[in-house]
Order: sequence, then C-alpha cells, then structure tokens
Amino acid sequence: MVATLAAAMLVAVASQRQTDTTFAVPAGASLSVNNFGGGITVHAWSENRVKVHGDVGRRGRVEVSLVGNTVVVKTGSREGAPSVIDLDITVPRSMGLTLGGTYADVTVEGVQGPISAETVNGEINVRGGKGIITLHSIQGSVTLADASGRIEVNSVNEAIELSNVTGEIKVETTNGEVTLTGIQSSSVDAGTINGDVVYEGTVTDGGSYSFGSHNGDITVSIPERANVTVTVATANGDIDASFPLPMTSTAGRHRKTFKIGTGSARMELESFQGDIELRRPQEIRERIDEHKRDHHNDNDNDHDSDRDTSFSSHFDAGTWDYAARYAKAYAPKYAKAYAPLYARTYARTYARTYKRAYRDTDTTSH
Amino acid sequence: MNDLWTNRLSEYLDGELDSAERAALEAHLATCGACYATLSELRGVVAYAKTLVDSEPATDLWPDIRARLTPGQRPGVSPPGTVRSRRFSFTVPQLLAASIALVLLSSGGAYMALRPGTSKVTPQPAAVRQQGIMTVANVDRGTTDAAIADLQATLTQNESRLDTTTVRIVRQNLAIIDRAIVEARIALQKDPGNAYLNLHLADTMRRKVELLRRVNDIAAQS
Repeated sequence: MVATLAAAMLVAVASQRQTDTTFAVPAGASLSVNNFGGGITVHAWSENRVKVHGDVGRRGRVEVSLVGNTVVVKTGSREGAPSVIDLDITVPRSMGLTLGGTYADVTVEGVQGPISAETVNGEINVRGGKGIITLHSIQGSVTLADASGRIEVNSVNEAIELSNVTGEIKVETTNGEVTLTGIQSSSVDAGTINGDVVYEGTVTDGGSYSFGSHNGDITVSIPERANVTVTVATANGDIDASFPLPMTSTAGRHRKTFKIGTGSARMELESFQGDIELRRPQEIRERIDEHKRDHHNDNDNDHDSDRDTSFSSHFDAGTWDYAARYAKAYAPKYAKAYAPLYARTYARTYARTYKRAYRDTDTTSH
Repeated sequence: MNDLWTNRLSEYLDGELDSAERAALEAHLATCGACYATLSELRGVVAYAKTLVDSEPATDLWPDIRARLTPGQRPGVSPPGTVRSRRFSFTVPQLLAASIALVLLSSGGAYMALRPGTSKVTPQPAAVRQQGIMTVANVDRGTTDAAIADLQATLTQNESRLDTTTVRIVRQNLAIIDRAIVEARIALQKDPGNAYLNLHLADTMRRKVELLRRVNDIAAQS
C-alpha cells in the first residue's frame, strides 16, 4: 500500500507540454477528475493501474493524488486564466468515476462501474457504466450506450440519446430531443419542453413509463404482447396508433386511457402541442435507421439530407419571377428560424478549431 | 383523472378507507394511470416528508393554541384509542406544490426561497380547501411563483459569476419554459377543470424551479 501511495502521490507539474504518469491503485479505488476546460476522456483496461495523460500546454498543470481510496485528478494553471487541458485517463474496468468540468467535453469508453459526469458547456458521451449513473450538462448533448443500473441524465439546451440501456431511467432536457432505443426497463421517466421524445424498448408487466413534451411529438413502441394501461393526453395534438387501441375511458377531449392486454404496466404519454404515436418496435427501429441513413448521407453537414435537388432551367420567366419573389419573401423568415438552430453547431465547431489554434499559438509563442 | 378518487388517495395511503371504498379505489387505480401515478408521487412525498427532521418552532406556540381551544376540552390528553397518527392529505395541486417545495428544500436554493419575507405559505381555512381544484391550484401556484421570483432574483445577482454564453443559454431556456407556462395557463383558463392541464402547468413550473436551482448552484460553485 505504501508503494501504491508513493506512486500515486504525484504532482505532475508540467514543465513540458504533456504529462504522462501511470501508477497502481488499490482494489475498489475510485477516480475523481476536475478539469475546468478541455476534454476528459476515460478508457478502461484490465490492469489494476491508472494512467493519466494530459496535454497541458505551457501554463497548465495536472495534479494527481490519492485521497482515501480515491484517485483525484485536478487541473489548473500556473499563471493567469484557467488553461485548456485535454486529459486522457485509463482506469481499471470496474472503477467508479466522478468527472466534472465547466467547459469540458466528457467521454467515457468501456468502464463498468458507477459514473457521475457533470459539465456546463460540453458534450457527455458515455459507453458503458454499471450502477448509479448520473450525467448532467447545461449546454451540450448527452449520449449513453450499453449501460445498466439506475440512470439519471439531464441536459438543458441539447438532445439526450440513450441506447441499449438497462435499468431505472430518468431523463430530462428543456430544449432538445430525447431518444431512447434498445431500452430494457420497468421504470422510465423522460421529458422535454421543446423537442420530440422517442422510446423503443420493453414494456414490462407492472412497470411504470412516463413520457412528456410541451412542443414535441411523443412516439413510443408497444410490443405486441405487452400488458399496459396507456393514458394519453394532448391539448393540441393528435393521437395515432398503428394497431387497434381498446379505449377504456376518456376524461374530456384531452385525455384517453387504453388498456392493452391485462393492462398491468402503466404508461403516461403527454404532449401539449405535439402528436402522440404508438407504434410497433420494428416500425420505430426502421424509422431511426432511416433517419441515421439520411443523416449519414448529409454530406454538407447541414442536418438536411442531400437529395437531388437539381432541376433543369427550362422554366419560363414567370416561374423565375415567382421563385425570386418567393425567396425574397421567405428568406428572412427561414434565416431567423435556421440561425438559432445551426448557430450552436457552428459555434461548437469553431470553438474547437479556435481552441486548438489558441493552444498552438500559446505553446509556440513562448 | 377523477377528482373524487384523487382526493381520497391519501386516505387510501393511510389505510383509512373501509374495505368497500378500498376495493372501489383499487378497481379505479387499475384503469386510471393518472391516479396510479399520483399515488406513486404521493407515496414519494410522504416517504420524503417522514425523513425530514422536525424542527422546534422559534417561539412557544402552545399558549396561543390552548387559548383557542374550546373551554372544557383538555388538550394533550386524549381518551384511549383516539390518538391519531400524523397523516398527510393533499389535493393534486397541493401535492405538486409539495414536490416543488421538496425540490427547493433539497438544495441550497431552499435558503433563498424560504428566507423570511419571501415565499410564505399562507395557511388556508378548510372552507377554502374545499372550493375545488382551481382555487387551491392558484393559491399553491402563487407560492411557487414567489419561489421562482426569488430564485430568479438570486440568479440575477449571481449572473456575473457565469460566463456570458451560459447566461444566454439559461435565459433562452427559461424563456422556452416561460412560453410553455403561458400557453398552459391560457389553455387552463379555457378549460379550468382539465386535470392534464393542471398537472402539465405544475410540472412545467417545477422544471423552471429545478433549472433555476441548478444554475444557482453552478453559480455558487464558480
């Protein structure tokens, strides 16, 4: 243990632009990382050691210590404003993680322990995780795949996507879509204010499922042999199902209850402005695959599939005139609609580009 | 959602319904997802409330209470068999207000939301409580509005601790929630008895409280 402590009590002050340290950790140790800006990437390996690699630039520093049974990694700056530091950490597969940052993107790959990740301006992408998993971001999308346990995921201004996740699930964002696919759960609670909600997963007898949106559509899969009582409520939307729905009660024109099979599970579907769709799992999977294909074919990254929009120029002058007037009339409206939609994406892309440029300048100018 | 049943859920939870009523309610629960969900929420609130530590009142209230009791009754001495356990009864809006209060209590925002002079919960006479869902809902939303106003004031004070991008994003999202609240309120004015709209409005307000609380927490840590 003494050797472990000695190895772990490292203070990797970066006189060089990178820091790289590897040390053994006691069984059951956890990892706590706090990185103000940059990236936190965590990989898993089968060894009982932790490897910390950091791109620290000229002013940055990385401190690694063992506090109790927790490996603590902190970043800082030796002078002036906080540095942008990218951390790449490799940990034992079952290690528990607590990862925090302000302008930090968080990526976790292959860890099979509890995970807590919180950032303000950054994406969180996690593959793996077991036990209590909490992922929170304000301005950044959150994705979680191949995880199991008690899951709580929040964003504010971006989308949330969960795939192949098992366990109790609570998901909430304000301005973004919620997409849950390949879910195995008896308890799911997912909501957004401004975005669609899609659920493709199990509906277990006795389970509880709640999906809500204010401005978006709700689409859920109901397996053929499901036993579920579905309560559907919408103020201004429509309700549609691709199979017969045996209605058992209705409370006003806004709320309807359907009993499918024995009605053992409970499902609440609520959207103020949007439509509510009940589909078979295969339908949703096909729709998602199609969406991914469209996105994949979207070569110019404008979030709109690139179809053949070319047309021959044998229109007469009247048609061109109409098109010109149409464009003039609607361009400002579309510009206004697209600007907020794409500003975030471009802002993030540019931020990354300039972050690198700034760091390179920072390291070469001294 | 059936208000008749909804308002009896806490009696059900406390085991105070007779067997016929209990059977009827359970039959209703089997077909009403809203009541079932409300019952789950109610269980959560009661369980959480039981975990709260009782705090001593700032002043001794007993002399006042004793003075208001009917002469001849001996407070504090109940005949054998009449001692009732403490129970919690809520209407749906009260339940949601309680949920929001618990959100506030579970964070540092509680101090700001509950500090003297703000967010006062006015005791309501029984007659007011019986006036129906909207009356109670409006009273409770008034309290929530006050809590939101307080959290927003705190955020305004702390905004300088956050970067401008975060402030802008938070403001945008608060505006989105505000728009949803306004739309729900307008819909509710047209259809006051709509249980879904009541719940939706309360839930949207809860989300605003949670976002404000979360951002205030981040600002406090900055």
